[in-house]
Amino acid sequence: MKKYTTILCTLILAAVFMAGCKKNSTDPTPVYTVPTTYNFANANFADATTRLGMATEVGNLTKLATSGAIDGPRIKNMLTNTNAPFATAAYNTSGIQMLDQFAPAFKTDIISFIDSLVKVAATGATASRGVAGVGASSASPTSKYALTGLGVNYAQVINKGFMGGFITYQEVTIMSNIATYDNTTVVNGSTAQEHAWDMAFGYWGVPIDFPANKTGAKFWGSYTTQVDSGYKANKILMGAFLKGRAAISAKDSKTVTEQAAIILDAFNKLNAAGALQEVQETRAAISDNIARNSRMSEMYGFVYGIKYNPKRSISDTQYNALLALFPANLYDLTLNQLNTLRDAIAAPYGFDAVKDIL
Amino acid sequence: MRKFIYLAVIAASALILIQSCSKSSGGGTTPTNTGTTFDRKGMLTNISTNIIIPAYTAYQANTTTLDAAVTAFNANPSLTTLTAVQAAFKAAYLQWQSTSTFEFGPAAQIELRVNTNTYPADINQINSNITTSTYNSGLLANLAAKGFPALDYLLFGTGADNNAILVQYTTGANAAYRKTYLAALSAELKTNATTVLSAWTSAYKTTFVNADGTDVSSSVGYLTNQLVFDYEILKNYEIGIPAGVQSMGTTFPQKVQGFYSGISLQLLNQHLAALKNIYTGASGLGFDDYLISANAKYSGGSLNDGIIAQFAAASAKLQNLTDPLSANIQSNNTAVVAAYTELQKLTVLLKTDMTSSLGILITYGDNDGD
Repeated sequence: MKKYTTILCTLILAAVFMAGCKKNSTDPTPVYTVPTTYNFANANFADATTRLGMATEVGNLTKLATSGAIDGPRIKNMLTNTNAPFATAAYNTSGIQMLDQFAPAFKTDIISFIDSLVKVAATGATASRGVAGVGASSASPTSKYALTGLGVNYAQVINKGFMGGFITYQEVTIMSNIATYDNTTVVNGSTAQEHAWDMAFGYWGVPIDFPANKTGAKFWGSYTTQVDSGYKANKILMGAFLKGRAAISAKDSKTVTEQAAIILDAFNKLNAAGALQEVQETRAAISDNIARNSRMSEMYGFVYGIKYNPKRSISDTQYNALLALFPANLYDLTLNQLNTLRDAIAAPYGFDAVKDIL
Repeated sequence: MRKFIYLAVIAASALILIQSCSKSSGGGTTPTNTGTTFDRKGMLTNISTNIIIPAYTAYQANTTTLDAAVTAFNANPSLTTLTAVQAAFKAAYLQWQSTSTFEFGPAAQIELRVNTNTYPADINQINSNITTSTYNSGLLANLAAKGFPALDYLLFGTGADNNAILVQYTTGANAAYRKTYLAALSAELKTNATTVLSAWTSAYKTTFVNADGTDVSSSVGYLTNQLVFDYEILKNYEIGIPAGVQSMGTTFPQKVQGFYSGISLQLLNQHLAALKNIYTGASGLGFDDYLISANAKYSGGSLNDGIIAQFAAASAKLQNLTDPLSANIQSNNTAVVAAYTELQKLTVLLKTDMTSSLGILITYGDNDGD
C-alpha cells in the first residue's frame, strides 16, 4: 500500500509540475516549427516591395532639391502611379499605387510637404535663417540640404512621413485586424491571412534572413537597426513575424494574436525610438547649423508621424504638447529645448533609461 | 530502502521539471579579452583624482582670471588691459586643451565642448550679434559665435594690431555692445567651468569611480570613447582639415584652432601631451597598464609600446612645425601633412587596436545613415 501511495504522490507531483510548465492546459498547442528566416514556401509580399521601391523613387527625386528645381507634378504622380512616373518600368505597369495605402491624414499632408519642398528647391538661394534655399553642412560641405526659412528639410519630413503615414499605418491596420482575415481558402497559393501577414513583413523592408543579412534594408528596416543600441526592435520584430507566420499556417490563432500584439507594440514605439535616435544625430551635428536643422527635421518627421498610427498609445493632448516643444524656427533651437524634447518623447514610451543611447 | 529510491526519483523528476520550466538565462557572454583582473576602479580613481579634477580646477581658475581681465579691460580699455586679457585668454585656451576630453557626465550635460570651442568662428554671426546688440547664449546657432574661437577673433582678429583692436572697444562703431558681448562670452566660460567642476567635486567623482564595468555606459566606456573622439578632433580639426587632407589638397589655413592669436601649434602640442597623459594615467594606473594587463600585442611587440612609440613619432613630426600653423600650411604644407600622417597612424592604434584589445565599443558614429 505504502508503495502505491508513493507512486501516486510521484504522479501527482509530476502532474503539478508539468501543469506549471504549460501555458494553457485546455487548448493543446499545435506542434510546428518556426523557421529562422522568412522563407515560407507560399510567402508573397511582392506588392509591398514594389511600393517601398516606389517610395524610394520619390525619395530619389526629393533629393534633387539640393541641386535646383524639382518636378512636383511627377512626384505627385508617383503617389498614384499616374502617367508612368517611375524610372523602374515594372512599377509603372504594376497596376498598384501607394496613395490608396496611406493613412487618411497623410494623403493630404504629403501633398503640402511636396509643395513646400518644390518651393524651396525653386528659390536658388542659400539657406539661412528666414531664407529658404540650399545650405551646406559646415563640417562636411559636400553634404547639402534644402531648407525652408524656418529650417525645415521637407525631403526628410516626406521620408519619415512614408514611414509613419504609409508603412506604420499598414502594419497597424493589418495587425489589428489579423483575426478577421480568412485562413481557410487558398488563393494564389496562400490564405488571405497568410498574405496579409506577408505584406506586413514586406512593408518592414528587410531581407528574409534579417538581421544576419541587412542588405537592402530600407525605411523602417534601416531604422530598426539604427535604434537597436537602445531598443532591440530587430530581434523583437523578426521573432514575431516568423512565429506569427508559422502559427497562421499551423492554424494556431492564439499565437498569431500574441505575435500581432508584439508587432503593434513595436511599431507604436518605433516613431519615438526613431525620434530619439535623431536627438542623438542632432547632438552629433550640434554646432553645424544646416546639418543640425536637417536632423531636427528628421526628428520632427518622426514625431509628427505619430498621429498617423490609429493605435498610438499617446493621447491627442500629449501629441500636441510634443509638437509644441519644437521651436517655431529650427534655427532658434537651444540645448534646453532639445533636452526637453528628448525627455518628453522618451517618457511615454518607456525609453527613459535608453534615451541617450538610441 | 525502496522508499528512499522513490523519494529520490520524486526529487530528481521535480528538479528536472523545474529546470525545464526555467528559461535559459541569456547572459553568459563573458568578454574574451584578458585583463579582466585589471584594477579598473584603481585606474578610474587615479585618472579622476590626479588628472580630471586638477584639470577642471585649473581651467576654472583660468577662466575666472580671464573673466576678471575682461572686466578690467571693459572698465578701462587700454593697451595694458588688452594685453592682459590676451594673456589670460591664451592661458585659459591652453588649459582647455587638457580639459576638453572629459565630455561625459557633467560636461556632456551642458555640452561643454561645443559651447567652449566650436571653430572656425562664425564671423558673420559674431558681427551680426554685435551690430544688432543681441546675443542669446542658448541658441545653438551661436555655438560658433562664442567660447574661445569667438574670443580669439574679438581679441586678436578685429584689427591689424593692438592699437587698431583697441579702437573697436573705444571709439569704434558698436564699441559698447562689443564690450558687453566680450563680457558675456568670458562670463559664460567661467560659469560653465564652475558648473562642471562643482559637479565633479560633489557627487560625480564617486559615480565615475563606481561605474567600473566596460559596457558603453561605464566610465571606462565613456573615457575610452571620449579619449579617441577628442583625439580625432585633434587630428582632423586642429591639423587635417586646415591642411587639406579631406579636400583633396585644397588647404583651409583659416580653419585652424586659434587662427587669430596664432597659437594653433602650441594648442595642438598641449592637447597631444594631455591625451598622452590620460592614456598613461600620469604616474598612476592608466590605459597603458590596462593594455599590459590584457597582454595586448601589436606587430610582434606589445601594443602599449607601439602606442607610446607612435605618440613620440607624431610629436617629433610636430616639432618640425612652427606657429602660426596657418602660415606653415601655406608655406610648407608637406611637413604639416607629414605630421598629420603620423597622427593618423595613432588613430588606428587607439581606435581599433586598443578598443578591441580591451573589449570596449566605440559608440560614436561618423555620420548617419538617414
